[in-house]
Amino acid sequence: MSVVFTAARVRALALCAALPALAATAATAAPAVLNFTADEKARILAHGPWPPAVPHDRSNRAERLPAAVAWGRELFFDARLSADGRSSCASCHQPALAFQDARSSPQLLAAATTEAAVPLRAGHRNTPSLLGTAQQRWWGWDGAHDSLWAASLAPLLASAEMGHSLSSLAARVRGTADLAAGYRRVHRQPPPRDDEQLAVGVAKALAAWQATLRLPRAPFDDFRDALARHDMRAAAHYPAAAQRGLRIFVGEGRCFICHTGPGFSNGEFADIGVPFFVPGGVDSGRHQGLLQLQTSPYTRLGRHNDAGAADARAVATRHVVLEPRHFGEFKVPGLRQLSRSAPYMHDGSLATLQDVVRHYSALNEERLHADGERILRPLDLDAGQRADLEAFLRSLSR
Amino acid sequence: MTTKWTTRALTGFGRGAGRLAALGLLAALAALAALAAAHAQPQPATPAHSPACEPPPAAGHHLAAGGLQAWWRAEPEPLRVGQPFALVVTVCPVQTQLLRVDAHMPEHRHGMNYRPTLQPLGGGRWRAEGLLWHMPGRWELVLEAGLGEQKVRLTQAVLLK
Repeated sequence: MSVVFTAARVRALALCAALPALAATAATAAPAVLNFTADEKARILAHGPWPPAVPHDRSNRAERLPAAVAWGRELFFDARLSADGRSSCASCHQPALAFQDARSSPQLLAAATTEAAVPLRAGHRNTPSLLGTAQQRWWGWDGAHDSLWAASLAPLLASAEMGHSLSSLAARVRGTADLAAGYRRVHRQPPPRDDEQLAVGVAKALAAWQATLRLPRAPFDDFRDALARHDMRAAAHYPAAAQRGLRIFVGEGRCFICHTGPGFSNGEFADIGVPFFVPGGVDSGRHQGLLQLQTSPYTRLGRHNDAGAADARAVATRHVVLEPRHFGEFKVPGLRQLSRSAPYMHDGSLATLQDVVRHYSALNEERLHADGERILRPLDLDAGQRADLEAFLRSLSR
Repeated sequence: MTTKWTTRALTGFGRGAGRLAALGLLAALAALAALAAAHAQPQPATPAHSPACEPPPAAGHHLAAGGLQAWWRAEPEPLRVGQPFALVVTVCPVQTQLLRVDAHMPEHRHGMNYRPTLQPLGGGRWRAEGLLWHMPGRWELVLEAGLGEQKVRLTQAVLLK
């Protein structure tokens, strides 16, 4: 067969050849933003803007005092706050690791026997990051604390962590010249005779500094803001995989139901099917946390609240209820800086974000409370969808 | 936040299908009797038509059942997922006692993690403090009120986005 290239046919062939190229160019030039529905857009926009205003915690009158912030920072790295002088807050909340320790619970237990700086903890809770910690309502995986200063005091007094008693901590501050001077600078009085008041004063300085630790903006925020102002050209810079993952997050994945708002957490507690059995017993999570809260002298309802009855944030403490369904529930964590805060889950049992996505994809419904929420179900994501969801989660980190 | 007007009211506090069915039957008979009475004589003013039951300023959402009415608005508004809020409730007749304020998510089979407290403000106004809706979706707000021997349960579906 011979092909005759008449002039007319050559022109036609050239046009045909050009069409796919034009189509490819058009595809490249078109804004690469998924056609999100109105509901999807509303849910996406609800995750911003970032950063939000951080309300002043009036239960801690030292919170915004520069002297308190400065002393709190010093204390955070000071091993004298542990009974044996071996560990500081920064031993577990390491600044280079988003203020957590990147260790799973078994790793931490092993390290506790070999590394001087690692306290021998109970060993079944994942060290939470402190970035953005001031923006919470409850602190700790079990929410046993209703203020950052109460949460800061707890590890100082925990036998498995820094190991002080109230009296030993107070004696150390009173008996150490520079610590006593620090207390005096912040609280405008010498360390008091009241051990509890003194310990809370130390914790409030620690809280003052931690309240300055903020979560940075992430690529998602740029996308979200571009979407809000209908700037599709700017929004198109957000990777397609992250957009597809976002669609799963606010859609069939229903992740947004608990991971709500700009911080990607509703601030409450849930059972997501992570085992709560620990060596030697059960970690009952929120149930135990509420029992602890109810008997703690260090809450917003107690004498150490500097705002007293005027503290509007005490409303949650005053009205929270303890119910059987709270057994095995743990804090819904925020998802920002997630890429920097492995391992994951309350027990640190999942090493990577891939593991986390796989967990939700193959969720064991039998494991969940029989009378619990009908929210969680296996997502059954294929490999591509899992990669997309992971891409979205990574876009929450800078 | 949007409010869906799917108000449902159940008088009494009976639990169980049998009791509800019996109550329904009684209610139907009472309605028929009332209809017959209305044809026989001028209808007396009910609380719903009483001047005392005019909506208060900034009344908010309205509920009515069993001759009782209630208006509620949230503080602060709009409601936000995971943020504590209070309800200001106005009841009519003003002698009505607000007995309980609660909410739950029927589809999720759970309620709030918080139990509101009630404070009478006078003149039929009440403040319910300590509510927090921790998930988006359909919440069912429950107001339980009593007037004399009568107890009324008012419910309203609220879609929180």
